[in-house]
Amino acid sequence: MSYLLEARELRKQYPGKLALRGLNLQIAPGEIFCLLGQNGAGKSTTINLFLGFVEPTSGAAFVNGLEVAKNVLEIKKHLAYIPENVMLYPHLTGLENLALFSSLAGFQYADQELLDYLTDAGLPPEAARRRVGTYSKGMRQKVGIAIAVAKHAQVLLLDEPTSGLDPKASNEFSELLRRLSGQGTAVLMATHDIFRAKEVGTRVGIMREGELVDVRPTATLNAQELEQLYLTYMN
Amino acid sequence: MKSIAQKEFISTLRDRRFVVLSALVLALLLTATLVGRASFRTLQRERQLAQTTVNDQFRNQPARHPHRVAHYGSFAFRPRSGLSLLDAGVDSFTGSAVYLEAHQQNSVNFSQAQQSGSLIRFGEMTVAFVLQLLVPLLIIFLCFGAFTQERETGTLQLLLAQGTTLRQVAWGKIRGYCQAVALVVAPALALAAALLFTGEEFASNTDLLARLVLFGLSYAVYFFLFVVGSVVVSARQASSRAALVTLLGLWILGGIILPKATANLGASLYPTITKAQMDAEVHEEAQHGVNGHDPHDQRAAAIKAALLKKYGVDSEEKLPVSVAGVQMAAGEAYSARVYQQHFAALNATYEQQNRLSDWAGLLNPYQAIRPLSMGLAGSDFTHYVHFQQAAEAYRYGLVQRLNGLQASMGYGDKERRLDAHTWRELPVFAYRAPNLHWALPHLFLPVAALLLWAMVLSWLGLRLISKTSIA
Repeated sequence: MSYLLEARELRKQYPGKLALRGLNLQIAPGEIFCLLGQNGAGKSTTINLFLGFVEPTSGAAFVNGLEVAKNVLEIKKHLAYIPENVMLYPHLTGLENLALFSSLAGFQYADQELLDYLTDAGLPPEAARRRVGTYSKGMRQKVGIAIAVAKHAQVLLLDEPTSGLDPKASNEFSELLRRLSGQGTAVLMATHDIFRAKEVGTRVGIMREGELVDVRPTATLNAQELEQLYLTYMN
Repeated sequence: MKSIAQKEFISTLRDRRFVVLSALVLALLLTATLVGRASFRTLQRERQLAQTTVNDQFRNQPARHPHRVAHYGSFAFRPRSGLSLLDAGVDSFTGSAVYLEAHQQNSVNFSQAQQSGSLIRFGEMTVAFVLQLLVPLLIIFLCFGAFTQERETGTLQLLLAQGTTLRQVAWGKIRGYCQAVALVVAPALALAAALLFTGEEFASNTDLLARLVLFGLSYAVYFFLFVVGSVVVSARQASSRAALVTLLGLWILGGIILPKATANLGASLYPTITKAQMDAEVHEEAQHGVNGHDPHDQRAAAIKAALLKKYGVDSEEKLPVSVAGVQMAAGEAYSARVYQQHFAALNATYEQQNRLSDWAGLLNPYQAIRPLSMGLAGSDFTHYVHFQQAAEAYRYGLVQRLNGLQASMGYGDKERRLDAHTWRELPVFAYRAPNLHWALPHLFLPVAALLLWAMVLSWLGLRLISKTSIA
């Protein structure tokens, strides 16, 4: 079976800290894999390794079969990324920000198409033409989602993407993820939100001190059981 | 890259801090251009009028003995070059007029600095000052956060996740910042060009146009260096604050400390004698030549003896030439040769000092653009020396022609005078400033230094940027 995301004995050593201890992970097309864990557990390091922002100490990360460390630029065509706190260019409008990031990814959209992406992500149309400097964190997050969606990537890497979103927007985001997953997109989402992970994920993994200590299909657990499992590992 | 450039350009224009700063710099540039133009026109008119007046006075002398005319002398006024309104160079400190007379090579006097208060020592607010020191400061304030802010806010990761490289981001930023800087500087240079080429004295002056084009290109390279340098420093520093402090430190080092240190080093390594010392030495050595005014001078007597022998006569009265005139010519030739030797030695020392500063351009772009800017503006030391030499060549030619006239008067010339119309046939001083073709070889080192900086900084800086940490 071909995986869109794969980690083989992936290890990352920072000065004085082992951030990732031989991670093995495969995510297939259409899968939404949620990584749970405390701060410093290695979730963001995993995402950064898949993005090619940091080099592994040993092991390898693959995106769509391409080894990240050897194809740093090529793998970016296959993935989109939403950070925990989407920071955009405050002197540009939401539309201009989306146009900029889309053009960098090789997509030239008309204004109406850009507006559609933004409104689909939940941004009010009137806000799209305002400068991002006036946006709330949630509004910026929605622009970040629009940027990721407009890239039409096969892989979505999400680092706490619903942070700062109100419950309604979070639900809409979950709906969007399910829709993308239905289209074959593989999603790796780092999150602290156990209930969101259970609701949207197809599998969840629990990370502790750089180690993936447990992986379960979400269908086999209810939310309370997942929370209990998580707390067991954390304690 | 184009998208990033466009984003930087738009963001910059929408940034109120940049708008205020650039409006200030633009206002300074436009003011300096207009003030420079007004000052240029005033000085140029004054000097033209003075030159015409002294030329008229010289030509309208009454019937006189030629040697009296040689002592009456004339003045040579240095016309200012067209582009000196943008860069006054050393013009304010070097003299503007030289008194031309027999036996004596006077120095060029009446500089603006001599005729101004002590405040001129602080330097003038010229276009070159704004371009060389204030625009780089604006660039530093514009670019110090180029990468640090992106990293601090996390937008850098988002940019790179789209599939761009650090190098592409850097070039995009450099291009965007260059466009913003051009928006500030171009109006001032356009105004300068309009002021220059709408003035009838400069109409269809292709040399001036070529100089202005090169002047603009040189500054374009200079600003490019600052933009690239600021972006590189921003990429290599951990925070915006550290980047700003580093860049301001480099600006102080390059704009203030290094030029002064180089000037002091040059003066220590290649000490020059004072003008009074040089005059005394020239006078001392000239004593070994012929003194046409001293009838007991042995060398003068030898000339007289040689003339008697040449014409096969036994007394001065029978000679077809005036002995005094020939003696004067020989004395002038000797003293001029002595002066030229000393002048060349002094200039060589100045050249060594200037050369040291030019070489420093390899370490400091400010010390590369300064001589280049002055050289293109025609206001550097080399152009000044060209004027000095032209004035001396004219003086020597005039005095020797007058000595020739005296010699042709024959024996008893001192009791006679030449008709007034004789002086109208003598050439007056009309200075032709050297063209760009003459000036360019003198500017090779600064040009090479600037281009070298641009290539090395682009290559090395961008390599450093591509190795900068992202996460």
